[in-house]
Order: sequence, then C-alpha cells, then structure tokens
Amino acid sequence: MPARSRCWTASSCWYSSVLELRGVSFRYPGAGTAALHGIDLHLQAGECLGLLGGNGAGKTTLLSLLSGTLALQQGEIRWNGPRSLGLVPQQLAFYAELKVRENLTLFADLYRLRGSERQRRMALSIASAGLEDLLPRRAGRLSGGEQRRLNFAIGLLQPARLYLFDEATVGVDASSRQLLLDAVEQLTAEGHGVIYTSHYLDEVERVAQRILLLHEGRARLDLDKRQLLDAGHGLLLEWPEQVPPGLDTLLGQLQLSAERLPSGGLRIANLDAQQLLAITAFASEQPTLPSLLRFGRPSLEQLYLSLNGGRL
Amino acid sequence: MSRLLALTRKEGLLLLRDPHALAVLFIMPVLFLVLMAAALSNYLRDEPAPLRLVLEIPRASEASDFLRDALQAQLTGSTLLEESADALPRITLAEDFSSSLLDSPHQGPTLSFPAQSDSQTRQRLRAALTIALAQTRLLAYLEDSEALPSDLKPDERLPLIRQRTQSEIVEQQLLASGELSGKANASQLSVPAWLIFGMFFVALPMAAGFQREQQSGTLLRFRTLELDLATLVLSKLLPYLVINLVQFALLLAIGVHLLPLLGLSGLSLPGEVLAYPLLALCLSLATCSLGLFLAALARSGEQALLLGGGINIILAAIGGIMVPKSVMPEFMGQLAEISPMSWALDAFLTLLVGQGGLVDIAPYCVRLILLALLLGGGGLFLFRKRVQQTQWTTHY
Repeated sequence: MPARSRCWTASSCWYSSVLELRGVSFRYPGAGTAALHGIDLHLQAGECLGLLGGNGAGKTTLLSLLSGTLALQQGEIRWNGPRSLGLVPQQLAFYAELKVRENLTLFADLYRLRGSERQRRMALSIASAGLEDLLPRRAGRLSGGEQRRLNFAIGLLQPARLYLFDEATVGVDASSRQLLLDAVEQLTAEGHGVIYTSHYLDEVERVAQRILLLHEGRARLDLDKRQLLDAGHGLLLEWPEQVPPGLDTLLGQLQLSAERLPSGGLRIANLDAQQLLAITAFASEQPTLPSLLRFGRPSLEQLYLSLNGGRL
Repeated sequence: MSRLLALTRKEGLLLLRDPHALAVLFIMPVLFLVLMAAALSNYLRDEPAPLRLVLEIPRASEASDFLRDALQAQLTGSTLLEESADALPRITLAEDFSSSLLDSPHQGPTLSFPAQSDSQTRQRLRAALTIALAQTRLLAYLEDSEALPSDLKPDERLPLIRQRTQSEIVEQQLLASGELSGKANASQLSVPAWLIFGMFFVALPMAAGFQREQQSGTLLRFRTLELDLATLVLSKLLPYLVINLVQFALLLAIGVHLLPLLGLSGLSLPGEVLAYPLLALCLSLATCSLGLFLAALARSGEQALLLGGGINIILAAIGGIMVPKSVMPEFMGQLAEISPMSWALDAFLTLLVGQGGLVDIAPYCVRLILLALLLGGGGLFLFRKRVQQTQWTTHY
C-alpha cells in the first residue's frame, strides 16, 4: 500500500508522488474573482482523489490546469517525471461515425502503443468497459451508456501515471457502472494516480481514498476517507426554522456538544442510545418537528451537503 | 502506424461514411455537369442547331426557287416548309418578288418570328435571308446584263453565284489567349466549370468535421496528447487533396467518355499533358486552404456549412461557373477576376479551347498558389488559436 503522508518537503517520499500543486491560483481574463485560490495538493501513486464541489467551485479549472489546456498563472504544478495523463472527459470524445474497434485502434495509434503492450492495453480497456460485443458497431449507434463506456475505454487505453475522470459514468446502467468503478479501483491498485470527479457521491466514496471539496475556488475540505469511516455514529438534526430553545440546555445535561453546520442544522457526534432517546423525545415534544433527523455513520453525501450548504 | 497516417486514415473513413459529403463532392458536380452540358448544348455548340421555318411563296418563279435553294444552303440541315400552322419563324415573299428584284431601293420579303424565338435564332435567320436574297438579286442582275453563259442549267446557277460571292477569309486561331469562354462549346465550358465548383466544396466537410471534433472533445484529447499542429493540419489537408484529385480525374473522364454516350459533345484534352496535373494540384491547394480557413473561422457546424456553401455559390456566380463570362456585361467580367473559380476556369479554357500548355496556364496557377498561401497562412494561424482555445468543458 503506498504511503499517504503529506510530504511537501520530505524528498524521501517524492518517489511515490504523481504530482504536487502548491499555491495554485487562476483568474479567467475579465473575471472579477479568481476561479481558484491557493490550492495545495499532493497526489501519490496508487491514490484516488475524489474532487467535489458545486457548479463554479473550480473543479473544471483545476482539471484544465492539470491537463495543460489552461496555462498556469500562479503557483506551481510539479509532475514527478514528464506529464503523463489519461483522460475521460464529460464529452463523448470519440468519432460517432467510426466503429468501436476503429475508435480504439485510432487512439491506440495516437497513444503510440505498439506490439504486445498494445494488445494488452486494448484487451484490458475492452474488458474493463465491457465492450467485447460492441466492437463491430458504429459508435454513434450505441446507447448513451454504451457510448460512455467507449469514452471510458479510450481514456483507459492510454498509458499514464495520472488518470482524470470527469463525470465518467453519467447515463451508465448500474451493472456497467460497477464494471467501470472496478476499473478505476484497479488503476489505483496498480499504482496509478487518479482524480475522480462525479456528482454521484456514492461512487466517489467508493473509489476515492481522499476527498478534496472545492467551494468558490478554495479547498474547503481535504479529507482522508478513513477519517470518514472512523467517525463515530452521530445524529443530524435540522428544523425548518430555528433550533428550539432548550436544546442547548439538554445537550449540556447529557454532556454532549453540537457542531453547527452551514446548512443551519446540528451534528451531534459520539452519543449512546440513552442520549439518543433523550434527544428524540425532546424533539418530538416541540411544536415544530425537525425537518431532518438522521442517526448513523455520516455518509460522504451528508458530509458534503452539510459543508456545501445543502447544495449538491 | 504513425500518428499522421492514423489521423489521415480516420479522415478518409469519416468521409467515406458521410453520404452528404459524398453527395456534395461527387454526385452534385456530376449531375450539374451532365445537366448543364445538355442544357447548353444547343446554345454553345460548334455547329448551329437545325431550324424549322416556313417559306411562303405566293407566286412561284425561278427566282423564288433560287432563293429557297440559297436559303437552304445557308441553313444546312434545317427544314424549310411551304406552310405550317405551328408557331415557326416565317418568311413571306411578295407577289411581285420576281419582278421587283432589281428595284432600288428594294423591298425584301417579310420576316416574322414567334415570341419564343431566341435572339440567336433571329440573328442567324436574318443573316441567312440577307445572304440568300443578295445572291438571288445578283443572279437577277447577271441575267439582266446577260453576263451568264446562255447554256447554264438551273442547278448550276447556285454553285456559280456562290462561287462569285465567296471570298477566302484567312482565320487565325490565337491559342491560349483572349476571351475563350465565348468560343467554348457546352462540354468545354460545363465540365471544367462544375468540376471546379465541386472541388471547392471540400471546404464544407473539412470545416464541419473540425467543428465536430472540437464539440465532441476529441480535440481536447489531442491537446492533452500534445499532438503537434503540423500533424493535425496535414491530417486534415492530405485526404481532401486526394479527394480533389479524384474529383478532377473523375469529372474529366466523365466529360471525355460519358458525355458522348449521352449524345452530347465529348471533351477532348488537348495541350500539354503535364499542364492538367499541375492545374489540379494548384486548384486543390487553393480549395483545401480555403477549407482550413473556414474550419478555423467557423464556430459551429451550421456556421461552417453556411459560410462554406455561401462563399462557394457567390464565387461561382461571379466567376463564370453558373453563367459563362462571355455573356456577362463588362463590369461583371471585371468582377469575375476576383473569383479564384474564374482563374481556374480560365486556365482550363486555355488548355481545352486555346490548346495551351504549362507556360500559358502558369499565371493562373501562380494566382491559385498565392491564394493558397494566403488562406493557408491565415487558416493555420486561426486553427492554432482554435486548438489552443479548446478547453475542458462541463455539462453536468
């Protein structure tokens, strides 16, 4: 398992690094505010970073800077070795008039794949995206989900140290999605770096080891997924208007503290059954019942919603 | 396979699977060529078309018989009817035609045309009647002055009069110079005209294909692959250069072999053989450079189609493709000089009608190459900019 310690300065761990960003900022010409402010990031080999954020958070700008389609204005992006990038963009980046096999062959040629390596990667990407039966068909005549799988396979075909997946599974059926997520996990298991962005937070929770949440161009949260898994059971509470008076007193009596979330709700961590019963009894006696009452280990979605003001 | 070869092969496959592009590049010019060659075959022909007309003779005489024979000799192959209820050109002799031949001033026959007679027919008939009448009057004068042999038989009179009225005109053909479209027959004009028109249409699939690449994100993949600009541009140009050369060969072959089978005048390819491939290459460079320029200029597939189609039709309209330059007024003829289609057409006519060679078409080829350099340079600049502007886009 690759080391996941942060090592901006420790040259001893640089061998396992894929890339490192330091103080990366970007402002589009004519824009009032910067799209990215001082982003620091260190992605190691064998690590998948789940990149989250609402519309306009700066995800696309970050991906554009990493892919080289935007020129860096401020900060530093250091690649360990030459830039080596596999790409699965949101757009269906292939030729609809070509057959599936012809598309794969074309990109294999463009990726300069030769000999046995070519055969191996072709077979792997075809199997990973479940395209075996679709090879003789025109890409434009595939279903939406099948086209996504081809888009995925073309990205996977490229030998790279870092793979960028941008909403790679939109429109893909459940079983095919499992196939694609398995392929992403396989990439990280083989030691590749992966940056995975999706609005399907269950996917991100599954494949990512780290979560970077962007909000208005800033890193709002940079979380190791193990922290999420290690977090104890908690209670999420929200009222339609304001938190009823008396709750703070009750929490004091129960020796509990509450974290106030940007969404207006409360998160009460590490409580036992007795404490839970006392709080739910209190809530049920209020003239206005809570709009949200959820007990359990926090999911990424809950965490995301709470941090992002309830916006997906 | 090298990247250039892979991309070129891809362009070729895309083109072969695009029925609209194939129709525009091959079916449209072939149809135009055949239809326009047929439509213009009466108007622009080496031999004038036979006519049907009525010659009304109220009182037959030797003079009226002579006039009929003289007229028939002027209008070879035409039918002279004595009477007809059809709307045909009509020549009516006066009752005293024979006795008034030597009057001065002389009142000639009446010539009437139905409304649908075109100006060329009218002019031709007027000229034929004038000559036939002059010959008839000359015969009358010679008979009156007893200048004809007394034993001359009636069927010997017309050849004699024709001999007396004919002069040897020295005609020199100034090859590869002057306004040649007026001298070209329908095939010599239609084949190169619609060939050039079809070749310029490569700009459409070229431009539309590039737009699709940018919109689909394949160009984004190319950018991240750090594919060099020269490879990308060459992969666009090479397949369409080949297509242009195929169009050139195919349409000329249709002109030479198919048109005669359809009863139209076939095309012959006189002049220097090397001049044809040179012209094809220069023309292809100009059309493909225009394609590159439009590809980089347009912002969507629809815009590319509109720009490409519009520009081609305007260039064709002013360049003598749709209407021969020989029938254009002077200012339109001057305007035609700005159209590269006109340069190419002039080069073709220099070869086909003027029987010129490499030196004769060189000025047109230089113009086409300069245009190719201008459009290609501009296109390359814009193309580079468009590729650099290709961004990561999000839809969700």
